[in-house]
Amino acid sequence: MDFYIGLLQIFGIHTLLGLSAYLLILTGQVSMAQAGFFAIGAYMAGICTAMWGWHIVPALALGGLLSGVLALLIGFPALRVKGMMLVIATLAFSEVVRLFFFNFNYTVLRDGIPIGPIGAEGFRRIRYFPENGWTTIEVSLFMGLIVLLVGGALWWADRSRLGAVVRAVGEDELAAQSVGINLTTIKVAAMTLGGVIAGIGGGLYAHMTTHVEHLNFGILLATFAIAYPILGGMGSVFGTLAAVVFVQGFLVEGLRFLGDWRNLLFGLLIMLAMNVRIKQLGDVRLRNLLRGLFGLRRRSHAGA
Amino acid sequence: MADFWLEVADITQSAMDGLLYGSTYALIGIGFTLIFGVMRKVNIAFGAASLAGTYASLVAFQVLHAPAIVVFAVSVIASGVLGYVVYLTCFRFIAASNELGSLLATIGMLLFLDEVTVVSTQGMPMPYPVLFSDTMLFFGPFSLRSDLLLVFVASVVCTGILLAVIYRTRLGLATRVVSQQPVAALLCGISVPRTNATTFVLSGFLGGVAGSFIASSVGLLSPLLLIPVTLKGLVVTVIGGLGSIPGAIVAGLLVGLLENVFLYFRGVTERDIYVMLLLFIFLAVRPRGLLGRLHA
Amino acid sequence: MLALEGLTKHFGGVQALQDLNLKVSKGSIMGLIGPNGSGKSTTVNLICGVFGITRGRILFDGEDISRVPTHLRLSQGIARTFQNIRLFGQLTVWQNLWVAQNAPEQKHGEPFLRRWFGGSRRAQAQVQGLLEFAGLAHKAQEQASNLSFGEQRRLELARALASQPKLLLLDEPAAGMNMEEINDLKQRVLALRAEGKTILLVEHVMELVMGVTDQIAVLDFGRKIAQGSPAEVQQNPQVREAYLGTQAR
Repeated sequence: MDFYIGLLQIFGIHTLLGLSAYLLILTGQVSMAQAGFFAIGAYMAGICTAMWGWHIVPALALGGLLSGVLALLIGFPALRVKGMMLVIATLAFSEVVRLFFFNFNYTVLRDGIPIGPIGAEGFRRIRYFPENGWTTIEVSLFMGLIVLLVGGALWWADRSRLGAVVRAVGEDELAAQSVGINLTTIKVAAMTLGGVIAGIGGGLYAHMTTHVEHLNFGILLATFAIAYPILGGMGSVFGTLAAVVFVQGFLVEGLRFLGDWRNLLFGLLIMLAMNVRIKQLGDVRLRNLLRGLFGLRRRSHAGA
Repeated sequence: MADFWLEVADITQSAMDGLLYGSTYALIGIGFTLIFGVMRKVNIAFGAASLAGTYASLVAFQVLHAPAIVVFAVSVIASGVLGYVVYLTCFRFIAASNELGSLLATIGMLLFLDEVTVVSTQGMPMPYPVLFSDTMLFFGPFSLRSDLLLVFVASVVCTGILLAVIYRTRLGLATRVVSQQPVAALLCGISVPRTNATTFVLSGFLGGVAGSFIASSVGLLSPLLLIPVTLKGLVVTVIGGLGSIPGAIVAGLLVGLLENVFLYFRGVTERDIYVMLLLFIFLAVRPRGLLGRLHA
Repeated sequence: MLALEGLTKHFGGVQALQDLNLKVSKGSIMGLIGPNGSGKSTTVNLICGVFGITRGRILFDGEDISRVPTHLRLSQGIARTFQNIRLFGQLTVWQNLWVAQNAPEQKHGEPFLRRWFGGSRRAQAQVQGLLEFAGLAHKAQEQASNLSFGEQRRLELARALASQPKLLLLDEPAAGMNMEEINDLKQRVLALRAEGKTILLVEHVMELVMGVTDQIAVLDFGRKIAQGSPAEVQQNPQVREAYLGTQAR
C-alpha cells in the first residue's frame, strides 16, 4: 500500500514539473531550466521548515516565489535567444544552480545536530511531515490538492482567451506581434509562472524525500520536465499527466525487474518518439493503431 | 614581494596548463560546430558519444592489453561509428525543419549513453593508458607536463588535418556546399544524407581523439566526465560562435585557460560555475560568439 | 494620416528601399505596385515595425512612430495582413479573431480578469460581426488550418480588422485568387473604405488595384518612380518601362 501511495506522490510532483514546462512549451520555448527552478524551490522550502521552523504552506510559497523571481530575472535575457540556443542557455542555468548547491553550506544547530544544506552531502532531515504528525494519507491529499489546484487553473486558463493568446505566440511570433500581442510579456510571464510551479513542485519533493542533494537536479530531471508535455502532446494538461503516469509508473517503476538497465529506456523512448512522430499518447494515429491491433477499428474512418 | 611574484608564477603556470588542456575542448567544440555548420542543428549527444567511444576502447586496453597507441586508435574509430549511429537515430529520419525534434532526440541519446556507461562500469572510474607519466619539461620557473604538450600538438595536427579535408578535398567541398545550399547541392547530384553522415563520422573521429586525450591526461576514465564535457563543449561552441571552426579553437583554448585560473582561485567544486557564467555573459552581450556570423 | 519621410532600408549591402516619400490621406485607398523585389513588402514591414529602419521616419496621425515596438503600432491603429497567409493554424477561427482584439479601448475597456479569462458580450458580438463579414460564421469552431485558401485569406482580413484599425495594410491580398474571388475581395475592400478605413494596398493583380484605389505609387528597385491616379499611372512611360522592360518604349 505504501508503495502505491509513494508512487502517487511521485506522480503528483512530476506532474507539477511537467506542467511548468508545458506552460513554456505552449509559448514555443523549450527550457531545460525547470530542473534549476525545482532545485531552488526544494532547498528554499526545506530551509524554511527544517531550519526556520515555518509552516509548510508559507515555506512552499516562498520556494515558489524565489524560483519565480529567478525565472523572471533570467527570463528577460534568456528570451533574446530562441530555439536551440535557449535550450543550451537554460541547460547551463540548471547546471549553475546545481553547482551552486554543490557548494552551498548553511546550517543551524537543532538539538545538537547541524541541520541544513551541506555542500555535496546535501540537505538531510527535512522532516516537517513526520515531526508534525502528518500521516502518509494526509501528505498525499495535501499534494493532490496542490496538483489539482495548479492543474485545474492551467486547464481553465488554457481554454480562456489567455490560453488562445499564449498558443498564438507559440505558433507564430511575427503574426502574434502584428495583431498586437506583447511577446515579451507573455513569454516572461510564462517563464515566471513556470518557475513558480516548478519551485512548488521542488518544495514538495524535498519534503517527500526528506533529503535532497545536488545530484537530484541534473540533466535527467530537466529532460523529464520537457519530455512529459512533449510525449503527452500539447493538446491539454491531461496529456502531461498521462505521460507522467506512463514514464514514472511504467518505465521507472513497472520495469523495476530490469534493474538499472531500465534507466536506458527513457533516453531511447525520447529518441523513438522524435523519430516516429507519434507526438502524443492521445494521438489519432496511435489511437487508430491500437484500435487496429485490438480489432476495434471503426468502419467510419474509411471515409475520413 | 617575493610572495607576489610566486603567486604570479603559479597563476601563469595554471594558465599554461589550462591552455594546453584546452586544446581537447577545442576538439570537442570543433566537433559540435562542424555538425552545426553542416546541418544547422545542435547535436547535444556529441561529447557523450565521443567519450562513449573512448569507453569502447577500454575493451582493447583491458581485454587485449593493447599498447596505448592502439587503444587510442580504437577510441577514434569507435567514436566515429557512434557518430554515425547518432546521425541515424537523431537526424536521418527527422525532418530537416524540425530542429527541436533532433535536439530532443540527441538529449535522449545523451541520457542513454550516460546510463550505458554508468551501468556497464557500475559507475566506477577505470584506468586509462597514460602517455608518459610524470615527464616534465622545465622552462625557467615554469614546467610543462609533456603529455599535455603532446595533447596540444596532436590536437593542432588533428585540426590541421580536418581543415585540410574541409578546404582541400572534394568531400570537404561537398560538405560546404551542403551547409550553404542543401537544395542546390541535391540538384548538383551531391547526396545530402551521405555528406551529413560523413560529417558526423568525421566529427566523431575528432571526438574520439579528444576523448582519449582527456582520459589519458587524467589517467582515468569516469562516467562522471560525460556531462561536464558535453556542457563545456557547448560553452566552447557558443562562445566561439556556432558554426565557426576558428572560433571553436580560440574559445576552446580560452575556456581551458580560464578554467584552470578559476580552479587556482576558487577550487575544483566551484570552477565550472564560472565557466557557465562565461556562457551567460556571451549570450547577453554577444550572442553570436567570438567569430560567429549573424544568423536569424 | 500616414506619412513616410525619406524612408530608407538597407539589408547589409542591399538597398531595399531608397528615400521613399509617401502620404496616404484619411479614408483613401493607396495602391503600392512595382515589380518583384521593388520594395513593396519591405515598406509594409517597415510601417509595422518588423524591421528597424535605416533612415527616415514614419508619421502616423502626425506622430513619429519610427521607434514604437511592433505590437504597440497596432494599438495606434495599424493592422496588416501577410503576403503568405500567417494564421494561427492550431486555433479555431473564433480564437484567431478573439486573440487579435488588442486596440486600446478593447484592452482597457473591460476588467482585467474578464478580458483575459472571460470575454465580454461586446467582444463576443464583435467577433460574431467579423465572422459574418468574412462569411465564416458557420465555421467559427473549425481549426483555422482546415480552412480553404480563400477562407484563410478572408479570416486573415477579418483578424486584421479585429482591433478596429484606422489604417489597414494589405500585402498582396489577391495573390493566388481566381477572378470570382478577386471580385469578392474588391467588394469587401470598397465596403471597408465606405466605413472610413484608410488602406494601403500592395498588389500585383491590376484588376484589383486599378478598380479600387484612389492613388497609386509605383516602386522600382527601392525607389518611387511615379505616383498618381490609376489612369495617370497607366499612361506613365517610366512605369511601363519598369514593368515591361525597355522594349516597350
